[in-house]
Amino acid sequence: MTAATSRSTQPSRWTGRRLQAVVSYTLRSCIGRKRWLGCLLPCAGALLFGLLAHAIDEPGGEAFAAVAANGIFALVVPIVSLVIGDAVLGAEIRSGVFHFTWLSPTPFGLIVLGRWLGGCITALLTVVPACALAALVAGEPASAAAAAAGAAAGVTAYIAVFIAIGCVARRAAVWSLAFVFLVERLLGTALSGIAQWSPMWEARAVFLDLAPGVPDSLIRRGIPVGGGAMVRLALITVLALLVARRRLAHLALSGAAD
Amino acid sequence: MSRPGEAEDPAFARQATVQVDNASVWFGQKVALSELSCSFGGGVTGLLGPNGAGKTTLMRAITGLVPVNQGSVRVEGRNPRQDRSVHTRVALVPEDEAVPTGLSARQFVAYVADLHGIEDRGAPERALAQVSMLDVADRRVDGFSKGMRQRVKVAAALVTEPAVLVLDEPLNGADPVQRAALIELFRRLGSEGRTVIVSSHVLNEVERLADRIIVVIHGRLAAAGGQRAIRDAMNDRPRHVLVRTEDSRRLAAGLVGLGSVSGVRLEGHDVVVSTSRAAELALALPGLARSLSVRLEEVRPLDDSLESLFRELVR
Repeated sequence: MTAATSRSTQPSRWTGRRLQAVVSYTLRSCIGRKRWLGCLLPCAGALLFGLLAHAIDEPGGEAFAAVAANGIFALVVPIVSLVIGDAVLGAEIRSGVFHFTWLSPTPFGLIVLGRWLGGCITALLTVVPACALAALVAGEPASAAAAAAGAAAGVTAYIAVFIAIGCVARRAAVWSLAFVFLVERLLGTALSGIAQWSPMWEARAVFLDLAPGVPDSLIRRGIPVGGGAMVRLALITVLALLVARRRLAHLALSGAAD
Repeated sequence: MSRPGEAEDPAFARQATVQVDNASVWFGQKVALSELSCSFGGGVTGLLGPNGAGKTTLMRAITGLVPVNQGSVRVEGRNPRQDRSVHTRVALVPEDEAVPTGLSARQFVAYVADLHGIEDRGAPERALAQVSMLDVADRRVDGFSKGMRQRVKVAAALVTEPAVLVLDEPLNGADPVQRAALIELFRRLGSEGRTVIVSSHVLNEVERLADRIIVVIHGRLAAAGGQRAIRDAMNDRPRHVLVRTEDSRRLAAGLVGLGSVSGVRLEGHDVVVSTSRAAELALALPGLARSLSVRLEEVRPLDDSLESLFRELVR
């Protein structure tokens, strides 16, 4: 090349532009057409759960709370988060494309943060409105904000967890499913100590705390609710992102054998 | 800097920017690099070796993608695994066909530029122009042919203005015109003083590209030096030549008397001749056939592949 290319020397501008580049790349490249479909199908499932509330012979608020707690937060939110969380990093590492990002002076923390933000934006455009719509479909507009808030809190933590799993495990999708169905559903149901650190249970707790007309039977004792659940989800998010950042620094991107 | 006392060792460059010192890399039971020591400096260095020799692992170790289990790799004195700032100086064009999906060539190169904090908005355009990709810059990279993918990856590497450019089989999939253009580009980058490391398993290709060649086989350094040294190593090695004729016994008897022939074996109508002076044999064979009134139906080298050279070099 003939002309010398100048590099940004202002740290804040430099960081902001790189973060923007990573987020933009995540939205354009990581979440492809198939991944969007993979997000939207479970979102349609959320709407079906909203319809299902009409079939439950209980007062409207209680019926929707039940389908949201046991269907939307137990299935739709984790599955959409898995699709997004795996796409933004794990899938790229496996496909051998990630080294274009890794081989840059961009700090690992910024890469992880950008990928997570990109994933969260995707979730905010898909599953969060779908959960609010499900409440409207169920005829419970008063629960829409609670469903959206619970979903938003849940996906932010879930995506961070699945990003971390993608950095740690080669078969990230399998391990992520095992985390949701074995650790959270099976062990989390039996052991409140595990539920306290489960995005599923904590997101559900956020929703149940905010939604009107929730029966006591749905509220689980022994785990934080409301603001406490939000704090717990924030902690899970930060811990998972730190694990991912640390793991990226030690990642061996061997690719295909020569 | 070259290592003390090793200035004349062809494996070590005089003004080294990349130093590989006794480096070993293994993946489980498989040893990919074994106690390899060499260095690279300004200009184009060819990294030659058959498939599975360890070239890609060496390149990945130089760029920090894989850690060395033993020994060390330094780029401008820094460890590429631990010092992220090294990546402002070194760039890799990987052999893998994988490219980001959903991005145009322009977006991909601009993304790499942004990651490197390149402020010059015109840098991606210039990098794409260098590999003649401007006319297809708005097409999606994942829809490109293998050769075009390689070129856009070269552009993504060039946009960072690297002092050390590591190219893993960059000519794969390129058509002859593209090949010539890329070779010219790499040579120009080398002449600018950049350290350009190019791997290939095709000797002729490396000869066109590089002034200095490092041969890696089974993860070890097998040979190093200029093109001539490597060519001489190839020319001096024992070769096997198959000669097909109707009267193989008569020809075999005549061949035994030639000074350039070190062994003769009969295989039906075929005579397999062992020689370490192939050029001399090629000159003598027609005359011998005429004198014996034997018609030669076919003459072909049995082991003129690069792999056979590699086998001989590690013997």
